[in-house]
Amino acid sequence: MRVLAPVAIGLATALVAAGCSSSGTDGTTTPSDGDASGEVVNLEFWSWPVGTDKIVEDFNATHPNIQVNLTDAGGGDDSAAKLLTAVRSGEAPDVSTVEYTTLPSLVIAGAVADISPYAGDIQDAFTEGTWAQTTFDGVTYAVPQDVGPAAMIYNSAALQEYGAEVPVTWQDYREAAQTVREANSDAYIGAFPPSELGFWASVSAQAGSQWWAYEDGAWSINIGDDASQEVADFFQGMYEDDLISVEGLLTAEYNSKLNSNEMLSWPSALWATGVIQGVAEDSQFGNWRMTNFPQWNAGDKAVPYQGGSSLVVTSTSEHPEAAMEFISWFNASEEGANDVLTMTGSYPASVVGQELSTSQEVSPLVEGQDDYYDLAAEIASDTVPVSWGPNVAYAKTVLDEELSAAIVNGTSWADAFVATGDAVRKDLVEQGYDVAE
Amino acid sequence: MTTTTSSKVRESRGKSATRHGIAPYLFAAPALFLYVAFIIIPIVYTMWLSLHAYRIEGGGSILGNRVLTWVGLENFASVLTSSSYLTGLKHLAIYGIIAVPSMLGLALLFALLLDTPGVRARPFSRAAIFIPYAVPGIVAALLWGFMYLPSTSPISYVTEALGLGPVPFLDDPGIYGALANIAVWGGVGFNMIIIYTSLRSIPNDILESARLDGATEIQLALRIKIPLVIPALVLTGFFALIGTLQLYNEPATLTTMTNVVGQTWAPLMTIYRDAFLTDNLPLAAAASLTLALATVAASAIVLQIANLRRRRQR
Repeated sequence: MRVLAPVAIGLATALVAAGCSSSGTDGTTTPSDGDASGEVVNLEFWSWPVGTDKIVEDFNATHPNIQVNLTDAGGGDDSAAKLLTAVRSGEAPDVSTVEYTTLPSLVIAGAVADISPYAGDIQDAFTEGTWAQTTFDGVTYAVPQDVGPAAMIYNSAALQEYGAEVPVTWQDYREAAQTVREANSDAYIGAFPPSELGFWASVSAQAGSQWWAYEDGAWSINIGDDASQEVADFFQGMYEDDLISVEGLLTAEYNSKLNSNEMLSWPSALWATGVIQGVAEDSQFGNWRMTNFPQWNAGDKAVPYQGGSSLVVTSTSEHPEAAMEFISWFNASEEGANDVLTMTGSYPASVVGQELSTSQEVSPLVEGQDDYYDLAAEIASDTVPVSWGPNVAYAKTVLDEELSAAIVNGTSWADAFVATGDAVRKDLVEQGYDVAE
Repeated sequence: MTTTTSSKVRESRGKSATRHGIAPYLFAAPALFLYVAFIIIPIVYTMWLSLHAYRIEGGGSILGNRVLTWVGLENFASVLTSSSYLTGLKHLAIYGIIAVPSMLGLALLFALLLDTPGVRARPFSRAAIFIPYAVPGIVAALLWGFMYLPSTSPISYVTEALGLGPVPFLDDPGIYGALANIAVWGGVGFNMIIIYTSLRSIPNDILESARLDGATEIQLALRIKIPLVIPALVLTGFFALIGTLQLYNEPATLTTMTNVVGQTWAPLMTIYRDAFLTDNLPLAAAASLTLALATVAASAIVLQIANLRRRRQR
């Protein structure tokens, strides 16, 4: 227990000092943009995917009149909150990475600029479905950077060793889980923690449940509908039979299990390769493979989206045109798409990027899987759209709370989903939206 | 003569009175300014914010625009009926019942032991008991977190080798003890120093005469020392209570290590979530004010009880 007063005063002084020193992040004061007057425009850019720094270096080298300064803002739940706080305090960057899930909440908070006037030229660089993720009511707020059609990355060498077959449906997945547990009592086929709203929404969308849907001027919340409840029951069954783990993803413990062949698959999306590559040790390289996301019904092909990010111009940016030039290069040009492919390991949203990918070398994690990008293109071609509402962050914490409690107390996961749906619906109504019952 | 001197004195006293009239205010001004700027103004702003909420202006569009609208005491009603906050208080209650007596009890015990005449290695023991306080809070929480995680815990390693399975530190209800342990480990040193200082100020004659009367060290401790350090105990208890109500560090660090500690385990964690993760600053403002008032109320009760004891003793 600490003594409060000196801490509070010290903190206050530190805050004053920090406030004084960090005002005025943007170097140039000219409101006009660099290309016209010949002066260099300095842009502040917040991002976090691995390899972004090299992409920014490429841009800076080829665009002497626009120089971009990258800050690694750290991804995860806090990223949108950090950006919002920064916008409110006037310290925001010009450009930032924003995930599709949090884009609506940033729009309603007034943190992102309306880029429809600039977006006309690059709209053609994307498919309609992709562009729809960043356009609401005809207004465009972001440019898609990468897409995450659901896919599953798995440790092929370990699965083979344990005698499990690569699953095609979720029922197959259950059987493979059983085989793994019997072969090695320390290993699990995968972890499905309550904190991963992205996964639960995605796998429910695949079962036919759109958690947020907008029709005829009203939102409808379907978290906890029949399809979601079936999904919940299925995974609860697996957990109660000790076939899956519910620990958090990408924690120190998870990573060490992954590297010891005790965590064998991650049903997520195409960007998983880049993420796992970041935590895998060299011994894992070459052992992993990408395959289709398990289906609920054999023979189905369509997969939902899970995650994916876009680039936005913040509402407080003083250089929207220069920012758009940077964003267009990054997300829609050939050089930018090539860089996104080779340096971040994610699957580009732009058509040119997806075409380029087919001639790409694969990440060392999945070395040996020569049809990786062909498979990726095939997966990306048949998708179920997923829309995100204005209170995704709230839904995430409620689901985490309800589902964690259900896990700890041994109660029904389906009831947790229903309770989450009720809370999310109530929150939207409170905020003033029209919500269908 | 006397009149002139006295009038001179009166004059000089008059002049110095006016000179002294401004100086105190000037000396106090910086502190007052900081106090108003960093404590009063933010509190008033928080109160203002807590009476508003973000609402969508004009329904019917897919996203709309959020504006700050007046809602009166609605936020406070939400806080008082919110299951997150109430469950958080429940967690704090259980945690407090374990942590506060343990910490004060151990601090008192160590202080008494250190005060015993003839004890060896006093400076070393004092330093050793105090060092955990110097470990930054997050580092301590992470350190203990890894000591609790089944795959990295040395204790679980031993129990597993003995065939008993891992120790359920991070499961319900072990989590309360686990969290309390981190706080106790870090706080005992500091509280011990306070109590020890108080012990050292007990006049030696009382102790001498008691020893001459044949009192053992234990009787000395129970009958003389402890009653005389009650004020120090009240002080440390007071801080411990405030610290319990403001618990944030330890559960927030452990939340990634176990499903039992969610994002809203402690009230302050819920406030953080509302303020920053779900962008509901007004609700967080209302909750902060409620928590602050609860802290003030609890402290007042503790002080009243302490005062009653003292008044009754006289």
